[in-house]
Amino acid sequence: MANTKKETLQRQSDRSDAIRANIKRYYIYVVLALIVIAFSMLKLDQVKFFGRGHFLSPDSVINIFRSAVPILTVSGAFTLLMISGYIDLSVGSAMSLSAVIFSWLILNDFSFLPAFIITMIAGCIMGFLNGYLVMKLRITPVIATLVTLSLFKGIALLIVPDGLSAIKGTAEREMPGWINDFGRKEIFLGLPAAFWLAVLIIIILVIVQRKTILGKYAAAIGGNRLAAELSGIDPVKIVWLLYIIVGFFAAIAGMARASYMSLGDPLSGDGMELSCIIAVLLGGTAFSGGEGSVAKTMVGAIIIICVTTGLMTVIPAYWQVFAMGTVLLIAVVINYQLARDKGKA
Amino acid sequence: MEAKKDRKPILGSRLSDESFITLFMVGVLILVFSFASLFVRNFFTIQNVINLITNNWFVIIIGIGVTFLLITGHFDMSVGGVIALTGVLSVYFSQGVNVSSNPLANGLGLPYVVALILTLVCAMGIGGLNAFFVTRLRVPSIIVTLGTAMLARGAAQVITQGAQRNTSLPEGFGVLGSLGIPGTTIRLSLMIMIALILLSFFFEKRMIYARRVYLIGANPVAARLSGINVGKYVTSLYIISALLAGITGILLASEYNAGMANRAVGYEFDALVIALLGGVSIAGGFGSVLGMFVGALILSVVTSAATGLLLSPDWQFILKAVVTFIAIMVQRYALDRRKG
Repeated sequence: MANTKKETLQRQSDRSDAIRANIKRYYIYVVLALIVIAFSMLKLDQVKFFGRGHFLSPDSVINIFRSAVPILTVSGAFTLLMISGYIDLSVGSAMSLSAVIFSWLILNDFSFLPAFIITMIAGCIMGFLNGYLVMKLRITPVIATLVTLSLFKGIALLIVPDGLSAIKGTAEREMPGWINDFGRKEIFLGLPAAFWLAVLIIIILVIVQRKTILGKYAAAIGGNRLAAELSGIDPVKIVWLLYIIVGFFAAIAGMARASYMSLGDPLSGDGMELSCIIAVLLGGTAFSGGEGSVAKTMVGAIIIICVTTGLMTVIPAYWQVFAMGTVLLIAVVINYQLARDKGKA
Repeated sequence: MEAKKDRKPILGSRLSDESFITLFMVGVLILVFSFASLFVRNFFTIQNVINLITNNWFVIIIGIGVTFLLITGHFDMSVGGVIALTGVLSVYFSQGVNVSSNPLANGLGLPYVVALILTLVCAMGIGGLNAFFVTRLRVPSIIVTLGTAMLARGAAQVITQGAQRNTSLPEGFGVLGSLGIPGTTIRLSLMIMIALILLSFFFEKRMIYARRVYLIGANPVAARLSGINVGKYVTSLYIISALLAGITGILLASEYNAGMANRAVGYEFDALVIALLGGVSIAGGFGSVLGMFVGALILSVVTSAATGLLLSPDWQFILKAVVTFIAIMVQRYALDRRKG
């Protein structure tokens, strides 16, 4: 009798562990669904269902995906970096600088492909520099990337001519119209090439994280750096590579934004590092690294864009920063709760 | 490593590492200042030297809190946001009730002193929030304080509707910010800054509390095992840091007679830079307020020399980055050699 009772108890606790694991696995999708439903219900009396102006109308959905392009492009690589226990606060500045370089090149008669490639190389150099400061000179990641944040921003501001707020067409020199082609021109399902490139990047990064050695090594370094080193992994090389990858995708994100706005704004990437952190935390990646999921970060990114876009239709724009700060702190709390659950189980 | 052992230390070993770094940075300051005096016109004047300090009082005040937190191994990136929020709140609390149809002109109509106290309480609330997340939930301080910075600045934007509040202020609102010795640029804010520097210098050298703060930074585990309530210390430091930012916010709002939502953007970075320039270690357990003060002077000499050389103001971001980087590397090199 006693034995069976024990077994029942065991089974019960197994079940509650399973429930907890399921909560951890699926909560983010529920959150996304709730947010979408909440915003769809708002102002229902004023709009027709799935009609124009509704949160789920095709126009609105396309708009959400379009504004999500930069964060979708960059937050996947950012997740990998955070899984390995490092951080890059300079992504926003790297994005701005790339946007400025890209539009400067186009304004100076480069055609699309050379400009694109040069900017990507610039992004890699930025990532390389971050990796060098953090991994070779062993400066704390936060400080090193704050330094490069300031550096990239300064360079971007210097490239922009005095008296202008951004690299843009002037009376003497017009910005070619085709700069829009990458970030705005609809190519499939009403979405631009930049979006489909972001989707491709996400697919590649999900595979990299789940199926390749790079993903495993990143998790190993984040989980226990010493153990990883002792088992023959070279953390310097791996994390340096991850920094370069983040710089590379930051460059693509910057170009997507420059192309969408037809100008190179040296402040356009400001705050991207925080958006990335929020997306990563919502996706359940641990602060200290070691585990996480690129795919869930993407859901987190979509949540952020839904919240910002949705809120814009309901409350004045000056609530935006407050809302984002709140979302960040909520994400921190959720993340903490999940980590604690893991500790119990 | 072996070869280095025989090398003589740069300075006598009687000097503590902290005093060594501070003296070292004073040397750097003199060097930078001499260069600036040689190459920039009108740099070497008494008025300019006074301006180097008076123009930076706000960064130095918030630098005190940031320095002590950094010594315990924690960041506080929320100070800029707190300055904006407290500036706006001090205006909002003291503005008259129902004075005009413009919502930005109407406040709570509290007496100025009550408004100031309430504002400081709100500032300490943000500090408490930081401390809660850092000590209870064990979230990295950089993430939390960036979040509360957004929260504070966001609240400031909500209260000012993204602009500023500067009408229907009570009489005497601008007194705090403009009070000073007539005929000079020395104001109350500068005197508060000097008093706070002296106070924290005393605090740092003479109080058991402060020595424990250093111990926490040097080795949190050992500190906990030797019976120090680490959470309590970190919490009090976060609250002090927010309080200092609150005082700064109130003084700035009073000086400009306005509460602006985008005041003090990037000040948290400046405070971090001057602390690092002054030799505060990012790893914790090391640094001093005096060093931070020297760091502030170095940064101020470098940026004002750059302006004097007619560089575009856009250069300041690059300058700050390069100066911080050099400071970190030079200090590490100096300490390595000293240890031999």
